[in-house]
Amino acid sequence: MAEILAQLFNGIVLGLLFGVMALGFMMILSVMEVINFGHGALFALGAYFALTLQKFVGYWPALILAPVFVGLLGLVIERFAIRRIYGKDPLFGLLLTLGLAMIFEEIIRIIWGKAGYSLSAPAFAAGPINLGNLWYSKYLLFLAFLSLILLFLVWIFLEKTPYGAIIKAGVSDSEMVLALGKNLDRLRTLVFGLGAALAGIAGVIAGPMWSLKPTMGTEILMPSFVVVVIGGIGSFWGAIIGGLIVGLSKSLSILVYPRMSELAMYFIMAIVLVLRPRGIMGEKSLLEE
Amino acid sequence: MDVSRYIKHPLFLTLFFFFIAPVAVIPLGGMSLAIEVMIWVIFAMGFNILLGYTGLPSFGHGLFFGSGAYLFGLFQHHVIKGVWIPLGGSILGCAIIAAVLAIFLAKKRGIYHALLTIAFTQMFFFIAFQWDAVTGGENGLMGIERYPLTFFGLFNIKIESSVGLYYFVFAILAVSIIFLWKLIYSPLGSVFYAIKQNELRAKYLGYNTPFVKWLSWIISGAFGGLAGSLHALLTHGAFADPIHWTRSGDVVMMVIIGGGLTNFFGPVLGAIIFIALRDIFSTITEHWYLFYGLLIVVIIMFMPEGILGYFKVGKSGAQESLEELKPASLDLKGVE
Repeated sequence: MAEILAQLFNGIVLGLLFGVMALGFMMILSVMEVINFGHGALFALGAYFALTLQKFVGYWPALILAPVFVGLLGLVIERFAIRRIYGKDPLFGLLLTLGLAMIFEEIIRIIWGKAGYSLSAPAFAAGPINLGNLWYSKYLLFLAFLSLILLFLVWIFLEKTPYGAIIKAGVSDSEMVLALGKNLDRLRTLVFGLGAALAGIAGVIAGPMWSLKPTMGTEILMPSFVVVVIGGIGSFWGAIIGGLIVGLSKSLSILVYPRMSELAMYFIMAIVLVLRPRGIMGEKSLLEE
Repeated sequence: MDVSRYIKHPLFLTLFFFFIAPVAVIPLGGMSLAIEVMIWVIFAMGFNILLGYTGLPSFGHGLFFGSGAYLFGLFQHHVIKGVWIPLGGSILGCAIIAAVLAIFLAKKRGIYHALLTIAFTQMFFFIAFQWDAVTGGENGLMGIERYPLTFFGLFNIKIESSVGLYYFVFAILAVSIIFLWKLIYSPLGSVFYAIKQNELRAKYLGYNTPFVKWLSWIISGAFGGLAGSLHALLTHGAFADPIHWTRSGDVVMMVIIGGGLTNFFGPVLGAIIFIALRDIFSTITEHWYLFYGLLIVVIIMFMPEGILGYFKVGKSGAQESLEELKPASLDLKGVE
């Protein structure tokens, strides 16, 4: 029973983290019509930046600074590379971001080496906590709490600010946004930076849970993809629901059949696609054209 | 009959190049690389039916390459110790996989289409990686043999040596290229191109576009299976690696570098350049992926039309059919 409960908790924690990753990925997808293969690499960079920064400034400043640096990197990438492929075949965006992902992963390998590192958790969140009949990692609870705060901030940004309205409009028609006199260029740069920063902070908070290795970005990218496909492009709640489904499918399948833990989400995705081709919360959008 | 017209034909020149290449390659000791180039040419040209001619951005075509290799090995291990039947079985198997996946994909376009192909390829990667009772898991499916080719029991040809395998792959390459050339100039090929140009218009002209897209998937999937099988013969094994999404850009890059989006022969040049660069860089540095990534970024940013497109070489293939289609499509402007 305690085992099931622990995996249930793990699934929710993972799900919230996937939700954060998927939202950044989806914002970029919606506004720029670019599938960002580099999203995982930005996640990894966040974790590695924090690793180095922690040595100099400690936990809390690193938690803020590392995502800021990743966000700034995102701004630069958008300004000098991604901007060139707007309006072209989606293939070019895919290849460009794939190339960037490879470059970043190799740079990580060159700077920090192949060996795994562990990112230290803040002192108050070290060790386990007693929850009734279950000893559970304090840090994972803290991670869930941080993810919830991030999700809440994204929700406010998307639902309560004019930027959010424009971003959501971008899902249906970026040309129309332009026609309404909004500065699409600046919006795109901003969204890419924000999406990158979200990936970066996800990397920082996931760091103490997983070991840091150059391939960590490659590994988290696919769950983010599947979350977006399951939840539906352009939906905040879709990303949360999709994230929880993917997180729980990963952790609960460990109980039943560990080998299925990587595969379960793809089967769920296939089922969702049969029943609801646009994902659970997906609506018809121009991205299908 | 004007012989010189045939000799100047790029189809003939391409095949002639691969026919005589061993003269230069054998002394350099790069026969297996040369075979690999031809295998990737077959793969990339088949893939280009989907990407360049039908305009469907697939980013998971490694799925067919990998599955083809596994199916070939499985047929050899469990059905018959030969080459022809496993080859046919693998092609058929990949065509069936493509047919099933394309049910999901044929109604999609653009980004959504690409997103799903990536997710599917990764699903197949984990199946191949985890199901080690069948696929050998992490170690791969080993013990794939180059059995002699039999022709209805009349005579046998040995393909154990690298020269033997080279000319076997060459023969298949020749048949494949001629088939694909005929295909793109067939009525079906024109409909592929019409879908790339404007699917809505093709639909209003009365074509069942999801069905045609489905056919395009099956053809390119079958070629993936063919190329994967040949690769299994070359390496004596089948591995999950080519199915992983990080490798799925390889075949796309071969099409793009050469200029396959505008030229039928782009994938030939692309495969040669790609394999050569990979071989050179991976011997001089352990960070081949850094250079590969830089290459992708530079090509996409500064030369997205590829080499043949950049220098506007030839007017064969897609470019020519584009011009053929132009007058007709102008007449139909009002349809939309």
